[in-house]
Amino acid sequence: MLATLVLAAADADPMKPQLGLALTALVVFGIAFGALAFFVWPKITKGLDDRNEKILGEIKAAEDARAQAKQALAEYEQSLAEAREQANRTIAEARAEAQRVGDELKAANERELAERMARAKADIEAAKKAAVADIHANATELASAIAGRILQREINAADQARLVEESIRELESAGA
Amino acid sequence: MPSILLAADSPLGHVLDHGHVWSEMQWVGEFGLSIHMVMLFVSAITLLAAMALAAGRIATGPESIGNQRYVTKGRIAQIIEVLVIGLRDQMIEPILGEKNTRRWLPFLLSLFFFILVINLYGLVPLQDLQDVFGLYSHTASGEKLFWLGGTSTANINVTLALAFCAFLAIQIHSFRELGVIGWLDHLTCGLFKSSKIVYPVIPVVFAVELAGVFIKPVALAIRLFANMMGGHILLATVIMLPTLMGLQGGAWLGVTFATGAFAIALTFLELFVAFLQAFVFMFLTAVFLSLMSHEEHEHEDHAAEEVHEELAHAHAH
Repeated sequence: MLATLVLAAADADPMKPQLGLALTALVVFGIAFGALAFFVWPKITKGLDDRNEKILGEIKAAEDARAQAKQALAEYEQSLAEAREQANRTIAEARAEAQRVGDELKAANERELAERMARAKADIEAAKKAAVADIHANATELASAIAGRILQREINAADQARLVEESIRELESAGA
Repeated sequence: MPSILLAADSPLGHVLDHGHVWSEMQWVGEFGLSIHMVMLFVSAITLLAAMALAAGRIATGPESIGNQRYVTKGRIAQIIEVLVIGLRDQMIEPILGEKNTRRWLPFLLSLFFFILVINLYGLVPLQDLQDVFGLYSHTASGEKLFWLGGTSTANINVTLALAFCAFLAIQIHSFRELGVIGWLDHLTCGLFKSSKIVYPVIPVVFAVELAGVFIKPVALAIRLFANMMGGHILLATVIMLPTLMGLQGGAWLGVTFATGAFAIALTFLELFVAFLQAFVFMFLTAVFLSLMSHEEHEHEDHAAEEVHEELAHAHAH
């Protein structure tokens, strides 16, 4: 019922050809397309492309910067490790040097000590010899004195002279 | 009781093309000025104004504002930008490939936005408002003549003109891409390269394909025209339903409220259809363009080459 109402009320034909309208549509669309293609789309496309490039460029720059920072960090860490190794080596060298110097000093001290001891021993020996010689001399004198006193009455002068001679010879051989 | 919501006597009459107020002027009337023509001009001017505004906003700004120059400001510009990016990256480029997208994007987007603006103007009840406020004149036979309003894309003449543009674009593209020999090869489905047994079939295939060349754009025109006209007839019928059924008084008022609510829901559907049909017209044009290019075959070849290379590598290791 509705369909008949809809169509019955319309005396016009929906498929009616209107050449003027069709040509108008062609011309209007043509002009609109031309204007858009010439003035609008290049601008919009370029704007979008620019933004796209900007974003991609920024991302790439950020990635590059991160890679650079990473590399710098690696380099820094490497140089730090090298410095640490260098320091360790220096310390070890210094320690070895100190050890060596200490050892040398010790050796020198010991040598000097030994020399001094040797010299002291020699001095002591010489002093001992001198003392022994003194003792011999004094003892001979004393002995002859004592012996003279004991023997005064029994020994004549000739004997005495002979005894003294003998004593001196003995003393000399002992002192030699 | 007349329908106060609709400026026409019948649903179909509401959708059809009418004269314009100026049609009564002598030289304009001879030219055959109609409301659909006027709406074409109005739509084109609106389109160009909106697009010029959007282009200024989307384009990279002066360097003085720093990174802000890459930011699009303003709602209309942002909506247009989203549509442009979405259509380009999600719809057109996947089927046309990068090179052909760069070549045909201006045409396809112009087509889309032109149809969209006309469709959207059709949803604004301009004629009906003029009817309510009495801003119209009469022809000698008593027909109402308005200043503005109506859906130009609900007119087969307009959609055929647009389809003719699409047809031209498709043919220019196919001859440029394929050449005459390639075009003939395409229209015979490459049967000349196969065995001689199939030669008798070639005239039949060629006739069908050649018909297809013209049927495709005509189908585009009829699809858009039928969708817009059908939607508007449905909307008008629903709004006029109480009047068409001859209701009176309280019954008329009650049914008017019910149908009015339904009409509001239908208007949202029509809003969707306005976008959808503009998209379908543009998208199918893009598909027909892509059917007449080498692009898809190249992609297949590349894929095959890659597989072969990979296999070669696999064997080498």
